Amino acid sequence: MNVLEIQDLCKTYPGFYLDNVSFSVEQGSVMGFIGRNGAGKTTTLKSVLNLVRPEAGEIRYFGLDLAKHEGEIKKRIGYAGGAVDYYKRKKIRELVAVTRTFYDNWDESEYRRFLNLFSLDENKTPAQLSEGMRVKLNLTLALSHKAELLILDEPTSGLDPVSREELLEAFRYLRDQGVSVLFSTHITSDLEKCADHITYIAKGRLIASSPLADFLRRSAAEGAGSSLDEIMVHYEKESLYEKFAE
Amino acid sequence: MKNLLNKELRLATSPLAWVFLAAAMMAFLPGYPILMGAFFIGLGIFQSFQAARESNDILYTALLPVPKRDAVLAKYLSVCFFQILGFAMMTAVTVVRMTLLKDAAVYRTNALMNASPVFLAFALLIFTAFNVCFLGGFFKTAHAIGVPFLTYGAATLLLVGVGESLHFFPGLRFLNAPGGERLGLQFCVLAVAACVYALLTALSCRASMRRFERIDL
Repeated sequence: MNVLEIQDLCKTYPGFYLDNVSFSVEQGSVMGFIGRNGAGKTTTLKSVLNLVRPEAGEIRYFGLDLAKHEGEIKKRIGYAGGAVDYYKRKKIRELVAVTRTFYDNWDESEYRRFLNLFSLDENKTPAQLSEGMRVKLNLTLALSHKAELLILDEPTSGLDPVSREELLEAFRYLRDQGVSVLFSTHITSDLEKCADHITYIAKGRLIASSPLADFLRRSAAEGAGSSLDEIMVHYEKESLYEKFAE
Repeated sequence: MKNLLNKELRLATSPLAWVFLAAAMMAFLPGYPILMGAFFIGLGIFQSFQAARESNDILYTALLPVPKRDAVLAKYLSVCFFQILGFAMMTAVTVVRMTLLKDAAVYRTNALMNASPVFLAFALLIFTAFNVCFLGGFFKTAHAIGVPFLTYGAATLLLVGVGESLHFFPGLRFLNAPGGERLGLQFCVLAVAACVYALLTALSCRASMRRFERIDL
């Protein structure tokens, strides 16, 4: 069963076109969403959260149309776009007291567990936390309402190696609990540790969306490389030397 | 909606919005354009929008499990809450001026607008200007607040000018009758202003909901 289905998503910005992007996320899987800067990852993720309005395309969660069931769907998903970047001068306690009222399924014990796991102090404000700690706070908020699908935009950037490993372990644990995770990242080694599926986007166009093992095997057979880093470089590197010489 | 209103009051509202409610007391000032009190209440609400923008409130709200249009409705309702509080305070001052203080010399000789139902009507029109010009303008972008506030300021100046000068025209002296004279007519003006406030605020809110749905955050 698919928890998220994106069909023919299109969005135009000056100098950029998201071109009929389609992919789906299966229940209980971890999908890595990769592409270089400006490829359209954030635009895609923002579209599936209704933060930007696509010109065309269908977005369905749990078989429900996002446009018609936005409130219901957002209760069942969690989103963390990197570090907490809102209400940075309010105490975490105060921010959480308001946020939890929106979720019938808020799990206080899970919230406390992640606070302890990430060593977060509720009496601090996000402004008093480092970038990495604010990423952890965002994840704590997303994980505390028993989300069935987590959508994470660059969740590991800014984290130290130990915290990153903890987070990837959390993803594996959540997957085993039936939770799906869709996360974008530049750190492709993270994906090789925990992703089941991969969606690769370049210049607004979908290059591939398939099980990670299949993608790696196919790319290797085509001579594109054997790791995600090598594959991305193979597809996208433009010769800077030639550009400078022009 | 209850949760969103709670969020507006606990997170998004600047303390200055509460402080600026005291501007309703300006209706006690003799020889002063007391309608400016309504403008200052709007200025307090503007401070909340400024603080909320710096706190990325719109993004936070858009990520909550609520339809985007409800976020707009909550903003309008919280603004109306402050306006109604301010209106209630101005009404209390007006009642005091029209009863206990109706014979006070400073008010009998007041050349400017007196505290009366007509004053309250113009205060409602200034609140309407805030809801149409500022709120309506803000939700065109969900971040720009400068031009919408300037538009509101210009509309307020116009309304204050009209309010302060209309009663000098022949046949319109009743608009500034002090101490409870010509109350029937004055209450008619207030009723019309209340209808204008309700109608234009509702229309502005609907337009803002439509615009906000189309905005890329």
